[in-house]
Formats: sequence, C-alpha cells, structure tokens
Amino acid sequence: MTLAGGLGYALIALGPGIALFFTVIINKPFLILTLIASVLSWLVSLVLISSVWRGFLPGEASAWVYIPLLLTAVGCQEAARLMFWHLYLRVEDILNKIAVRLSKPRLHAVDKFEIALAFGLGHGLAHVIFFCVALLTPSFGPATLYVNSCSQMPFFMMAALTGLGFLLIHTFSMIIAFDGHAEGKKSQQFFAPGMHLLVSFSTLANLAQGGCVYGVSATLSCALVTSAVCWKIKWDKTSEDSLPPSSSNRTHH
Amino acid sequence: MLLVVLLVQSLAPHGSDAPVNSIAMLVYDEQPTDSFSEKLGGAVLNALVFVIIVAIVTFLLVLLFYFRCTKCLRAYMGFSAFMVLAYMGGGVAVLLIQSFSIPIDAVTFAVLLYNFATVGVLAVFFSKMPIFVTQGYLVMIGVLVAYWFTMLPEWTTWVLLMAMALYDVVAVLLPGGPLNMLVELAIARDEDIPALIYEARPTTRYIASLPTSPSAVSRNSSASGPAAVATRPPPRWRRRVTTTPVSGNVANLVTGQPAAIDMPEPARNNDNVRPIGISALRIESQVPEQSGQQQQGVGGLLLNNTNDHQENGPAVVERWTTRRSSSSDEEDTVPLVSSQAQALIPPHSTVIMDGVESSFPSAARSEAVNIEALLEDVVGNGESGVLSGAIKLGLGDFIFYSVLVGRAAMYDMMTVYACYLAIVAGLGSTLILLTVWRRALPALPISITLGVIFYLLTRFIVDPFMVNLSTHYVYF
Repeated sequence: MTLAGGLGYALIALGPGIALFFTVIINKPFLILTLIASVLSWLVSLVLISSVWRGFLPGEASAWVYIPLLLTAVGCQEAARLMFWHLYLRVEDILNKIAVRLSKPRLHAVDKFEIALAFGLGHGLAHVIFFCVALLTPSFGPATLYVNSCSQMPFFMMAALTGLGFLLIHTFSMIIAFDGHAEGKKSQQFFAPGMHLLVSFSTLANLAQGGCVYGVSATLSCALVTSAVCWKIKWDKTSEDSLPPSSSNRTHH
Repeated sequence: MLLVVLLVQSLAPHGSDAPVNSIAMLVYDEQPTDSFSEKLGGAVLNALVFVIIVAIVTFLLVLLFYFRCTKCLRAYMGFSAFMVLAYMGGGVAVLLIQSFSIPIDAVTFAVLLYNFATVGVLAVFFSKMPIFVTQGYLVMIGVLVAYWFTMLPEWTTWVLLMAMALYDVVAVLLPGGPLNMLVELAIARDEDIPALIYEARPTTRYIASLPTSPSAVSRNSSASGPAAVATRPPPRWRRRVTTTPVSGNVANLVTGQPAAIDMPEPARNNDNVRPIGISALRIESQVPEQSGQQQQGVGGLLLNNTNDHQENGPAVVERWTTRRSSSSDEEDTVPLVSSQAQALIPPHSTVIMDGVESSFPSAARSEAVNIEALLEDVVGNGESGVLSGAIKLGLGDFIFYSVLVGRAAMYDMMTVYACYLAIVAGLGSTLILLTVWRRALPALPISITLGVIFYLLTRFIVDPFMVNLSTHYVYF
C-alpha cells in the first residue's frame, strides 16, 4: 500500500500513544525509564507465553485452543500488572524519601497518575509494536493483504484499529488498577483484568466469517469505556486536591 | 541503529549474496549450502581469528600509547577515519545509487565523496565545528562500519558478536587485558586516552533561566557545565556514557563530574548552565567565563565502554582520537546529585575519561552513586523540568549494537524491535551494575548476550506465534 499507506496504518495504531508520550512522558526521564521497563516486561511475558504455546498453535480447525491460550496469556499479563503494583509501591516509597530529603513536595496525585500512565503506556506500546507495527512491513510495498475471514478491510487496517483499542485499554486500565489498589476498591481492582479478558475474548469474534466488524467495534468500545472510567477517576481525584507539583511544600493527602 | 536498519532494508533485505571478503573471513568462507556443523565450526574459527587480530592491534595501541607517540596515533586515526568515510561511504553510496536509480555522474560523485570524507575527518578530529556536524559524522562512521559488518555471512556475524562480547569482558576485567592496561596507564599518567566518543546533546529543554554559553567551540561538547563544588583535585579526564540522539532521551541518565577539571587549553567549553532545583542548594561558584577551569557537579554514572573493534576489509583497526581539550565537554552534566550524595562519593574515585576509545575497549571507573541518589537525580531533574545529562558511549559499542540490530533486520522487523529493547535493557543493567560495582565495566557483553538471546527467541518462537494470532485476528 505504499509508504504513505504503511505510515498511515502505523499512525492509526500509534497516534494517541505518541501523543501521550510527547506530552506527558518525554519531559521526565524517570517516566521514560518506567516506560522502557514496562515495554520490556511485556515483551518478556510475551516470550514466556509464546514459548509455552508455540507448540500448540491453533489452526482453523482447532480454534477452541484459543480459549485456554487467551486465558493463560491474559493471566500472565495481569500477573505482571500486580508485580508492577508492588514495584510501584517500593518506588513510591523511595521517591518520597528522596523528596523529603530534598525538601521537595512528596508525590502528588498527578505524579502518581503519571507513573501509572507510563507503566500502562509501556504495555500498550509494546502490544501495538509487536502485534501491529512489526507486521506492517509488507504494507510499505505496492500491494495489500486480506484475510479470508474478513473481507471488509485489509489485514493492516484491522491490526491498526485493534492495536489502537488495545493501546488505550492497556494504558488506562493500568491507571485504574493502580488507583484501585491504592484505595483498596475491589471493583476497580478487578476492572482491569476483567476488561482485559473481555476484550481478548471479543477478538475471538473475529474468527467467524465477517465477524471482524463486530470484533473491532467491541474492542474500540471497550477502549472508550476504559478511558471514560479512567477519566472519571482522575476527575474525582484531582478535584479534591489542587493541581500540580510545582507548588512547593504541599504534602500529599 | 535506525539508519543501519533502514540501510539493510533497502539494500540487502535478506542478507547479501556476495559477502564481502574481509579479514573476518580469513579462515572460513561460509556458503549457504554448508551443513550446520560446518557453518558453526567455520564461524567459530573466523571469530577466533578476528578476536586475535583485534587483541594484537589493541596491544599495539597500548604500546604506542605507552611510548607516548600520540602523533602516530592521531595520524593513524585520521587516516582510518578518512578511509572509512571514503571507501565504505563510497561503497554504500554506490549501492544506494544503484538501488534507487539516482542520476549522478562519476565526477560529481568523486568530488562530493572526497569533500564528505575530508570534512568528516576534520569534524571528528579537529573540532571547532557545530556539534551537529560532528555528531552527524560520528553517526555516519558508526553506521558505515556497522553496515559493512552486516555484509558478513550470518553465522559468522553472530558468533563474532558473541566473541567480541567475551573479548570485551576479558580485556577489561582481567588484569592482563589490554584495555585494563590502557586505563591504568592513562590514570597513572593522568593523561587523556586517545579515543572517540559519541556524545549526545541533551535534547530536553533547559529551564529558561539557565544561561548557556556557546558550546559549539569544542567538539564533543554540549551545553551544560554546572557549577558545583570542587572538592578534590581535578582529575584530567572523565568518561561518560552517552546515547545517540536516535535513542533519544532514553538513557539520559545522570552523569556528572565531581571535580573541577584543570585544563590548560584555552579553548575550553565553559558552560554555565545550571539547573534550578537541586542545584540551587549547591551552587557555589560560578564557572569563570574564559578560564580554563570548569567545575562540575558531583556524582555520576560512568559507563564503561568497552570495546570497539572494528575491522574492515583492509584489516585496519580504527581508532579515533579526540583532542585533549575536548574534555571540556563534560559539561552537559548538570549536578544532579545532591549534597548528601556528594558525601557518598569517595575522593579520588573519579576517573573520568575524556574520550572513549572507539576502537578498543576502554574502561572507566564508575562513580559510586547508589540507587537512591540516582533516582534522586533523575527525579529531581524531572521535577525541575530539566534533564541535561547527556551520556557518552564509545563509538564501537554503538557499532556492535547496530550490527546486531542490522542482522536482526534481515529477518523481520519484529526481531529488530525485540533486539533493540534487549540492547536498551542491557545498557540499563550495565549502568546499574556500574553504580554497584564501582569499577570499569565493559559495555558490550550484557547487551549483546541479551540481544542474541532475544533474537533467537523472537525468530523461532515469538514470530510464528504472533503471526498466527494476528492473522486470525485474535489479540490479547
């Protein structure tokens, strides 16, 4: 689909991710490190999952294999999310100690959101890079590709749209999950894994002939829901406190 | 790395059919039809020969350094830089012209190439050029050498990378290793090591109130130059780790130099950039504008870069010399370490090398900064909105990373991303190790090992898995 087409697909998938990166993350090196660590951990979890399932790759006939595959995959990634949460607790501790030592304000709510955002964006970007962008290379050429089960849109388009949905979901559900763990709200804590599972299973709809339309719409609407929930959380949180960290001597609630 | 990947993709997407005859293929000429064990055996032999040659040449360099004939070193480096830019640059340019059917005649091409090469040598060695030109040329040299290496046959390349990583460990950590000796010599004499480093300009913006002095004067400098306490006698050279602009702000970690550096040369880059925030606690003396003194912040991470040997066709090991005075480029480091962390740093522990040898492994001592202090710096800077620490890495390290990534590109982009991440992870962990171990560390081994492992895993396991999932539109 030529260079423009290929780039277009990449931008569809990565657009919001890049925007988030350049507005929030690029100014703070700590967040960049967090992002990279999270991308790496997603990659490691992917390697683990694929090393287990490589031998049992489902084909057209044995599509039911996808179900345990998805279950284990989602489980693995949610385990990673929990690990992040514990890591984050330790990091927060260290950072607060440093802040006290430097007579600077402790971690503000917005800072916490930003760190959670960095973790989540790392996951999301990793997902998009490996599931979508890495496969876009043929799209830079003169032709395009359709898959049998989906004649409505080219393979690349589908991958890009789904990638976009997943990026948003990963990013925002990390924020939701962190907030849930911090506040101890069970509903929020289970929201992230729940949404993750829901979305993965909805992609199974793509296996059916012509089902890809539903699959994509489901993914994107899940993404919308997740972003809405996250937005609401942030709105609630930050309307209590005043905003950002440059105001000094403000201790965290 | 990005440029090498692009070059590989446009010129030789599946490996070259006629691998270049180089010193690395002295023993075994790999054919695609050879059996597995033949290929492996041959590749190992090739790599062995290469490493031995590199070791010999490194010892030679150490000897030259020992006898202080810096003129020979500099002349040699200038010559090899010219050769790389002209010969390899010309070769790659011809390939590109053929591939993209660019209309250009031979005379114009010759003139342009000659100019390109000469300006390159000047930019790299004799400085006084805008920093972007110098950086650009360093990147070009790295890309060209890396691309040349990717033209080696596949097995040889991988085994060679592993062999270089091993050699790096040996050369730097063992007391008899050439790089270790070089470092000792340099420390003992308190001299600069002739070397080539790549330094990234900090790409994050500075707080508006920071005065920045024109730093284009010295070659490898970027604006920084925090004023900080000079608490100990100035070591003559420092070393830092740097990242390329391509990898951007990724590893913009803290580096800082703990002491005032005494430089006799007048053409020093004196920067008066000071970050607000942390340094507000500690700024004491202003860096005098035109003096030879420069005071730096404390604490830093010094990444030891080790190794780079590149051999190209003519069995020439390249080394690049920097000017002695380019040590003024420490400057882009902002004193990120707080005064408490300053106290942590033992005196005389700052061995900072000015230039990192790009052609042979160079060792550096690391400053002891514990993780808290490190985080402190990173976070502190983040809060004040400034991160001005640029890190320096030896060019050879970049070259080998690029070779790895370039080779990965010959399979698929997925391996490229995986290997890139692995290399970054390796770099990060090397940095952390540096703060823990406080001694010279080779920069190659962890990254290369992780890179090779991830390449193999991605190629054989992850890729089929991913392709299966995506073509069925099942995601998680």
